[in-house]
Amino acid sequence: MLLRRSRSVSSLQTNVVRPLFSSSSEPQTTLPSSSLGSACPVEDSSTTGSSSCSPGILNSPHGSCRKSALQKSLFLASAHDFAKNSCWGSPSTLSSVAWRTHDFGGLRLLGTQAAVEASTSDGLTVDRILSNQWPILDENESDWKSHATAISQSINLIKRRLQWKKLLVRLQLLSAQLEKPDIWDDPAHAGRISREQGSLMSKMKQVVAFERELLEHIDMIKLAREENDSDLELDSLNALLRMRRISKEKELEALLAGEQDSCSCYIEVQAGAGGTESMDWAAMVMQMYRLWAQGRGYGITVVDEMLGDVAGIKRATIKVDGEYAFGYAKSEVGVHRLVRISPFDSNKRRHTSFAAVAVIPITGDGSTHVQINESDLRIDRFRAGGAGGQHVNTTESAVRIVHIPTGITVTCQNERSQHQNKASAMAVLQSRLDQLEKARQTQMNMEHTQSLTDNSWGNQIRSYVMHPYRMVKDLRTNFEVSNPDSVLNGDIDGFIMSYLSASVDKDGDSQ
Amino acid sequence: MEELNSHGTRQMKVRLTGFGGLSTFIRPPLHRLKSTPCALSSSVLFSSSSPPASQSHQVPLFLRVPKYATPVSDLQKWYSWASDLAASVGSTFLVSDNGPDSSLLCRELRWLLEDALQEDIDPSLIHQVGVNSAQREVNLKTGIEDLYKLWIQRIEERRPFQYIVGCEHWRDLVLCVQEGVLIPRPETEIIIDLVADVISSNRGLKEGFWADLGTGSGAIAIGTARALGGCGNVIATDLSPVAVKVASFNVQRYGLQGVVEVREGSWFEPLKDVQGKLAGLVSNPPYIPSENIPGLQAEVGRHEPKLALDGGVDGMDHLLHLCQGAASMLRTGGFFALETNGEKQSKLILDYMEKEHRGTFYNAKAVPDFAGVLRFVTAFRV
Ligand SMILES: C[S@@+](CC[C@H](N)C(=O)[O-])C[C@H]1O[C@@H](n2cnc3c(N)ncnc32)[C@H](O)[C@@H]1O
Repeated sequence: MLLRRSRSVSSLQTNVVRPLFSSSSEPQTTLPSSSLGSACPVEDSSTTGSSSCSPGILNSPHGSCRKSALQKSLFLASAHDFAKNSCWGSPSTLSSVAWRTHDFGGLRLLGTQAAVEASTSDGLTVDRILSNQWPILDENESDWKSHATAISQSINLIKRRLQWKKLLVRLQLLSAQLEKPDIWDDPAHAGRISREQGSLMSKMKQVVAFERELLEHIDMIKLAREENDSDLELDSLNALLRMRRISKEKELEALLAGEQDSCSCYIEVQAGAGGTESMDWAAMVMQMYRLWAQGRGYGITVVDEMLGDVAGIKRATIKVDGEYAFGYAKSEVGVHRLVRISPFDSNKRRHTSFAAVAVIPITGDGSTHVQINESDLRIDRFRAGGAGGQHVNTTESAVRIVHIPTGITVTCQNERSQHQNKASAMAVLQSRLDQLEKARQTQMNMEHTQSLTDNSWGNQIRSYVMHPYRMVKDLRTNFEVSNPDSVLNGDIDGFIMSYLSASVDKDGDSQ
Repeated sequence: MEELNSHGTRQMKVRLTGFGGLSTFIRPPLHRLKSTPCALSSSVLFSSSSPPASQSHQVPLFLRVPKYATPVSDLQKWYSWASDLAASVGSTFLVSDNGPDSSLLCRELRWLLEDALQEDIDPSLIHQVGVNSAQREVNLKTGIEDLYKLWIQRIEERRPFQYIVGCEHWRDLVLCVQEGVLIPRPETEIIIDLVADVISSNRGLKEGFWADLGTGSGAIAIGTARALGGCGNVIATDLSPVAVKVASFNVQRYGLQGVVEVREGSWFEPLKDVQGKLAGLVSNPPYIPSENIPGLQAEVGRHEPKLALDGGVDGMDHLLHLCQGAASMLRTGGFFALETNGEKQSKLILDYMEKEHRGTFYNAKAVPDFAGVLRFVTAFRV
């Protein structure tokens, strides 16, 4: 079996369209030169025709490598490490995928992968599959054309979501920058470039690998038919079915392809005007996020909480720790409106209240790291009046930091020491300033037509109606649900996903 | 490790819980506690707050073993009872002596719960309703009846929260404290920043001996040792044997036995061997004028040790003594930092240095705390 496979694989063709990333003299130089040492098995493998290609290409189709590769690349310190880990993988990765080793002929130049349009031995490509307009049948129907079409559609959608063409151009730009011999003179800058390049590269390679795998299985099916090998045909058909299922997951993953999407984040909720009723609403909104985050297995820490006098909260900030917390939660930014008979109104009148939600990514990798001047800060610490020092024992340790130039104010009171409250207030301030800076840069680059700032404070995004009818409706996507209780119990993924796909797919189409 | 002998009943509970679930039998009638907390005689209630007669320090709540299985519903009952009690305080303490108001007490209650719960349990379960969660059992680090007692002590007796849970979060440290040891103050956190600033601009000071006089819980000594980052040594002294015990425990907890040495004795007495050799001398000695002691906030005046607070007639006794000693203890270029009662004392010290020790110190200045009070005096030995 194995033998046969390798034979069939060697019949795969690739049409080199345009070597996007190769420079004229040294095609490999998309990598920092220091990385081309012994860690690189590619030259050998291609010449012997038996060994492996870059593990990036051979990524497991289950998508599990993606996150870890992404994560790894985020923490890489040097160009050397970077190249070793995120381009070539560790030896163990190589062996674990060795069963699918094959040679893509002209593909050993890393940079050219994306520009090469993969095809089957008889010239079938993803585009051509789609143009055939084969009907998509139910998953249970063992029809390879149907599977292939469904998978191809997903690949197309994923590419659109990733802004494929932009991604390739950006990748080329970054790789060119990394080639410069003096790039590491400024390690912070180089680190940023190399991180971004690594993350884009890994995204690109996943899609390319997925595409290749599709075509490979199609080739295999054709071969099996030629040779009347029904085992092989069934194997390959099942492989396609597996891919078809995975492709749905990959579509979702591609929604969270933004640079900061994988970050943890802060979620802030602030009550609008309207006293106790709106403070109670703010507390309900915060509870909704806590439950949502809990359900997703994220870590939750209360950073700050200012309780209402009678009930609810005036405002609160929680830190949500976990992969893609920001990517999802960013969809919640804006004003949330509640209509109900207020339990705080003795006349049982209907009230409308508002709560504003802000979501701040915790970038942590220093990609946008605003330098904070101590002299720009006013730090207030609350404590009982009087002489202070030995005279007073209080557990009050709240700290408020005002960043004078921007007017951003952060309060933290949930830690048990003032020092810690100051530290977490500074962390929130840092993330806020980073976000502000990011938004400024984004506006400057005109990269995104719709940035977070567009729909932050002041923009109503969702309406929760308890009376006279019951419904939650997102005003951006018109996604609606008739059971407010389940939504308030944290079941907001429907809203998040519909918003994400609406905004990302719109962006993708417009390019 | 847990000290149980100071409290015989707790020892019994431990044995009983060992058989699984039997602890319910010795739980006091909670409904009675709940409805008439004030009716209980304080001598019974406060027995666990008295300092131990034994040789070892008390184990803070958060470090104890979570072996008291308790139904969540019981815990919820306790919590809502305790919240009500806290709410009933309103701002009466605040008005009478600048004590805590109910919102602060409610936060302390959350922290008490946090410390009492086994680590892997989310304290928010206290608000979860529904039969499932209420019937669940969680493990506490002390019996539920003890939690009732502790909270009554907090409210009725104004026993400081930090003594209740046996620890104080100070800077990035969690320091164990108990009756007989001053609870470190947030203002004092700044002394470590001052030390860190000085050694970052004057690396030579990292080497050699530092001293923290009147170390109490060991806060300044441990903070300093960590700021020195593996260089140098810190000698921490205190006259109080309880302080010496507690400081030693804290030093151990942070794995600094080889760096911080705790010595018992009055001010410079235990430091004869390092005379003229100190690279730094830091201290937060008692500085409250004797006449102010009776009017102190209840948590301080009734519960914290007088030895740690009373600075004599104008509060200057120890400060001046330390100034004087610093002159002979510090090596050339050595750093000196004192915490004071505020502007008045800081100026008196600067005056004293100028008049009585002319030419001994340089760069002497008063440094404000976060509230803008000139809280510290720093100087260098010529
Ligand atoms: C205000 S407390 C400071 C404790 C600790 N350094 C802190 O900042 O949290 C003063 C300390 O000085 C100690 N003390 C009082 N008289 C002393 C003396 N004559 N010699 C040494 N220490 C003394 C007290 O026991 C107490 O621990």
